[in-house]
Amino acid sequence: MTSEYLLRTLLMLILALFSANASNWLYLAKLSSVGSISEEETCEKLKGLIQRQVQICKRNVEVMDAVRRGAQLAIDECQFQFRNRRWNCSTLETLPVFGKVVTQGTREAAFVYAISSASVAFAVTRACSSGELEKCGCDRNVYGVSPEGFQWSGCSDNIAYGVAFSQSFVDVRERSKGLSSSRALMNLHNNEAGRKAILNNMRVECKCHGVSGSCEVKTCWKAMPPFRKVGNVIKEKFDGATEVEQRRIGTTKVLVPKNSQFKPHTDEDLVYLDPSPDFCDHDPKNGVLGTAGRHCNKTSKAIDGCELMCCGRGFHTEEVEVVDRCSCKFHWCCYVKCKQCRKMVEMHTCR
Amino acid sequence: MAGAIIENMSTKKLVIVGVILLLFQVFSFLVGGLIAPSPTTAIHYLAMKCVDARKVQQSKWFMPWGPNQCNKIRDFDEAMVRMIEANDIVFAVHIPLPNKEMSPWFQFMLVIMQFDIAFKVVNQIEDGAEVTIDVGLAYRDDSVSEWTEMAHSIEKRKLSCNFTTSKTYENEGRYYECDLLPFMELGSVAHKYYLLNIRLPVSERKRVNVGIGEIKDIRLVGIHQNGGFTKVWFAMKTFLTPSILIIMVWYWRRITLMTRPPVLLEKVIFALGISMTFINIPVEWFSVGFNWTWMLLFGDIRQGIFYAMLLSFWIIFCGEHLMDQTERNRFAVYWKQVGPIVFGSFCLFIFDMCERGVQLKNPFYSIWASDVGTELAMAFIIVAGICACLYFLFLCFMVFQVFRNISGKRTSLPAMSKARRLHYEGLIFRFKFLMLVTLACAAMTVIFFIISQVNEGHWHWGDYTLQVNSAFFTGIYGMWNLYVFAIMFLYAPSHKRYGDEQSNGDLGVNSGEDIQLTTTITHLDGPTEIYKMTGKEAQE
Repeated sequence: MTSEYLLRTLLMLILALFSANASNWLYLAKLSSVGSISEEETCEKLKGLIQRQVQICKRNVEVMDAVRRGAQLAIDECQFQFRNRRWNCSTLETLPVFGKVVTQGTREAAFVYAISSASVAFAVTRACSSGELEKCGCDRNVYGVSPEGFQWSGCSDNIAYGVAFSQSFVDVRERSKGLSSSRALMNLHNNEAGRKAILNNMRVECKCHGVSGSCEVKTCWKAMPPFRKVGNVIKEKFDGATEVEQRRIGTTKVLVPKNSQFKPHTDEDLVYLDPSPDFCDHDPKNGVLGTAGRHCNKTSKAIDGCELMCCGRGFHTEEVEVVDRCSCKFHWCCYVKCKQCRKMVEMHTCR
Repeated sequence: MAGAIIENMSTKKLVIVGVILLLFQVFSFLVGGLIAPSPTTAIHYLAMKCVDARKVQQSKWFMPWGPNQCNKIRDFDEAMVRMIEANDIVFAVHIPLPNKEMSPWFQFMLVIMQFDIAFKVVNQIEDGAEVTIDVGLAYRDDSVSEWTEMAHSIEKRKLSCNFTTSKTYENEGRYYECDLLPFMELGSVAHKYYLLNIRLPVSERKRVNVGIGEIKDIRLVGIHQNGGFTKVWFAMKTFLTPSILIIMVWYWRRITLMTRPPVLLEKVIFALGISMTFINIPVEWFSVGFNWTWMLLFGDIRQGIFYAMLLSFWIIFCGEHLMDQTERNRFAVYWKQVGPIVFGSFCLFIFDMCERGVQLKNPFYSIWASDVGTELAMAFIIVAGICACLYFLFLCFMVFQVFRNISGKRTSLPAMSKARRLHYEGLIFRFKFLMLVTLACAAMTVIFFIISQVNEGHWHWGDYTLQVNSAFFTGIYGMWNLYVFAIMFLYAPSHKRYGDEQSNGDLGVNSGEDIQLTTTITHLDGPTEIYKMTGKEAQE
């Protein structure tokens, strides 16, 4: 063993560590024990944040609860969107949250980055609207001419603050590394694409309130789409993601489609660098759980069908009695009275 | 109304007046576009879910944030776990958001409500579902004192939601797309802080709030006028009031100086001036100091009176320029045309009283919330619409008649005596001028209305931001003021001798026959300028 070899391994290890924890702030979602993040000291104890993020945390302690909700939202939405796929967005109790799949430049990583930056923007905007945050909207982007701000010209939309915060908090990891590596470019692009999924799907709503309610005076505003909608949009982008490679144009490095026949990706599209593994077999080293033991759909020909899901290994079929709720009575909240119905269901599980 | 100033003015002077008015017009657009911010602001509020833990809470009001905030839950899954019932949940919204204050300059505040309802196969929204909301509104003027109740009401709102994708298990968790619901309207914003507490009481026995799906959130949008816009608007009104008032006094003095009593058209123009002044008078200044909730309604009434007056003016102006030997000059002649205007305005007035009038008592009232109310409101609006159509038919017909008569007169003009010809030419010119100006103003209004509707609200030119909506309001308001101003100025009776330059030459030729002028309104009122002039000429 030469010292050169040792040095190289060490370097590789450092590099791997660096690129590994880029989305580790999602680990916030797992920190249910911390209670609410209300003091600056808590920021230092939060696992998964890099130093710059800790600084942002200290400066914006009040926002961190929203960020944590955003992380949870991202994980929930990811698991919902991928419930029928081989990789089902399952999280680990350790770092990195999604296993190593996300640390490579795969499609799945692209999705995770996009949904998580969108979820932070979403959660922060929601927190603004509910009055939890004190420095939303008005402090930034006031487009009035007078210093009187709110009284003179009102405030800008909360979404502007949410997006700006997402940009500073989520992107800081990549920015601090400099825009040299292709992974950083890919992550930044996908982060932005995630936020675009909200911004480009804002609903414009209007209210007329002129004389006798006529449209002589009309006020319009933009309403945020429900997060499920955002998830669907990003999932569609995932299905049509572009494989890219880094090229140097002039002095800047940019990502261009690997296959030059494809049309270049837009701001809203997801991009990835590496092909994904097939996720078939259990591979603890890479954090792939494998599809053994997963339920599948016998009749489907799609990815949730037993054929594809089980990677051709075949499946068990067993008859299970399921206790289901039926003929329920609901209130709009918190009250359900149901009968229990039992029925026999065929359950298919991958070998 | 013979010998109006406009006829006796030289083209040069007319152009000068036109240019000055145009400058003021541009100025009024720029005031709105460059100084004022956008007219209104919409602020999103997400209702916080408080738990009414009986007897624990001191006050009966629930604060969503800040000191003394309520016992909150994040979502209803948490409520499910903690065995909290729907009846114990209070949606709390504080207006405005933290660190802000409302101000009387906001003039009004209306609030829109929207439900986020998640789709669930087993718990869908029933057809014609209605939600019953128990809502309380409170205010305070500093951040420590107790809340004072302002209004409390139990309201019903129809949920009209549709689910755009297929209703299958895969799509559970997606939200319904629900229409905006009118929630509250305040005619004045006299207090700094407002608090809304909303409950959705459930009673299975009375079928209250049953079958409304799984509510996830209540979102509100608060709309108020921007303080900056209010200030610019008030400044404009304060400037315009004396201008119109002065020209009104001048105009009336001119009329009283004449030997004849004023004719109908002159009276109508004066009435137009009065209704314009009525709009202009900046009584809104008081709303900054006093809590006058009826200001919104009052503003509607003032605008309504002006519109009705303007429409009547057009009809009467056309009628008085018909040149068809019929005797008019009485208001009663026009009942057929003015009737629809009065009736239509009356319908809208009743409708407005039903909506904004009742809102003085109960800010949560909406005529659109109940079936009967909706039908009634629609009936009023449809009747008003029919009246408007009827009116425009009459107006178009009258304008057509005038043009027909004009072309008829044109052919016989050269054969007429000079005075008679001048009289008719004057009539034609007066009519065409007003027609042109009115059309231009109407077209401007329509064009800017469309622009402000289509546009996103502001244009950027380098460092300058042009607020299109504000420019629309100040510009159009300024324009109709200038219109009224110009009419009062240009259509005031002239004291100048009729056609000094033109008729210097062969005066004697056509003397004597102009006494036959029975076609116009003027003859009743004894000798006006033309008569005096022609009479003199005849004597010569």
